[in-house]
Amino acid sequence: MSASPLLRFDQVSIHLGGREILSPTSFEVARGEFVCIIGPSGCGKTTLLRAAAGFLQPSGGAALRHGKPITGPSREVAFVFQDYGRALLPWRTVAGNISLALEAAGVPAQERPDRIAKVLDTVGLSAHAAKFPVQLSGGMQQRVQIARCLAQEPELMMMDEPFGALDAMTRESLQDEVSRLVQSTGLTVLFVTHDLEEAIYLSDRVIALRANPTPDKPSLAAMVEVKIPRPRDQLLTKEHPEFLRLRRELYGFLGHH
Amino acid sequence: MGLPHLLRPWVFPAVLLGLLEVAARWMVPGSDALAPPSQTVLAFGRALTAQGDDSVLQATAFTLTSAALGLLLGAALGLGLGIVLGLSRRAAAMGFLSIEVLRPVPSVALIPLAMLVFGFGYRMEVSVVAFATFWPLLILTQAAVRQVEPQLLEVARALGLSPWARTTQIVLPAMVPRLFIALRLGVSIALVVAVTVEIAANPSGMGYAMMIAQQSLAPDLMLAWLFWIGVVGYVINLATLRLQRAVAQRMGEINMEQTP
Repeated sequence: MSASPLLRFDQVSIHLGGREILSPTSFEVARGEFVCIIGPSGCGKTTLLRAAAGFLQPSGGAALRHGKPITGPSREVAFVFQDYGRALLPWRTVAGNISLALEAAGVPAQERPDRIAKVLDTVGLSAHAAKFPVQLSGGMQQRVQIARCLAQEPELMMMDEPFGALDAMTRESLQDEVSRLVQSTGLTVLFVTHDLEEAIYLSDRVIALRANPTPDKPSLAAMVEVKIPRPRDQLLTKEHPEFLRLRRELYGFLGHH
Repeated sequence: MGLPHLLRPWVFPAVLLGLLEVAARWMVPGSDALAPPSQTVLAFGRALTAQGDDSVLQATAFTLTSAALGLLLGAALGLGLGIVLGLSRRAAAMGFLSIEVLRPVPSVALIPLAMLVFGFGYRMEVSVVAFATFWPLLILTQAAVRQVEPQLLEVARALGLSPWARTTQIVLPAMVPRLFIALRLGVSIALVVAVTVEIAANPSGMGYAMMIAQQSLAPDLMLAWLFWIGVVGYVINLATLRLQRAVAQRMGEINMEQTP
């Protein structure tokens, strides 16, 4: 069992509406790894993430989790959507939104309050349990969504540009929070972003995709290890020589030439 | 300066009633169609204290019960079928022809059939009201299901909610604002159709009482009933609005004013 990686893409290609979004792409994600996918808009990074989560089937190749084909969404895989405003139930309180994950997993009603309190504490929202999403800031709403995913107790968390719509300050504090969380729980994360610094700062490995793949220029443009020690720091890490080197190396893939 | 704020909405009705009083008393005295408002009020007072089938209380209760039962039946069926047709493209394709053929049938055209099947009384009136309210509820529910935020359905998939939980926890609550629009439409249709059935056929309720007043050449009583039916409709509409606000409040002040 331990021989098969948590997630494996074997020559996965995806066509949508007759267009090749993703040319055959192979990579693996090991347990406990934090992998970021970057690329210019339209490069298929969200599509790749959705295929890995089981929302859509590859047109070719095989997407495998623990060596088995991914046929649909699983409770073992949590998905943090970019648009937190539309991913939370506006008619449920913060606690109620988190409860939804527990209800789906069939957790008995009497066990739910404790587990809700636990994840709310983890994301620092204990004081806001009874509030409705509209009463919270964007950063807090995204925290609720992350808490709901944690309540699912997944082994793999997919994050689709989760901080893209937030202001810089909130984004940085959420990056640190997610880093801390992942380190303490051993969660495996596949994280899509178009922010190069965010990708390097967060990950153990960065996968860069390019848009409009051709046979001699496939979707997978580069794959680099990020060997910068953890815990990382918004100031020190971003001045680290390795950070600067990777930034320079990957810069061209984001449409800057 | 001017009138106190609270009195302003009453100016126009007061002027209108005054003119009506003048017209009925001095321009067409002894008319079979018009009665002065003062006499209408007196006639209404007599009807209030009357006993038996034509008492205000009994007639009002009959009409409201029929309208409510009919709406309940029509809304339950329309809601249930609308959810199925909204969730499943295949079901919608199968039902399309039958719906488009049956829907344009005017509900009051069903009165003769309903009379043959059920005779006079509650059942025939309830069935016609149910038919009339079923269609708008069906169509609006179906549209409301299709307009449920797709991202929420994806959240449901990602969390692994069962189809039943997806319907009751995501689809239904997400539809509530649009369902209230459908419900308010259904309420007004139910009242209109119930009174129509009573005017046309069913010998009970407010519509029938108004017809009797007209046929016994008592325009004051007829106008009293007309006014009363208006008051009842207004109160019911107000109650539905209150209900809508209470539900919105419980659901975190979700936006109820979006258009369907």
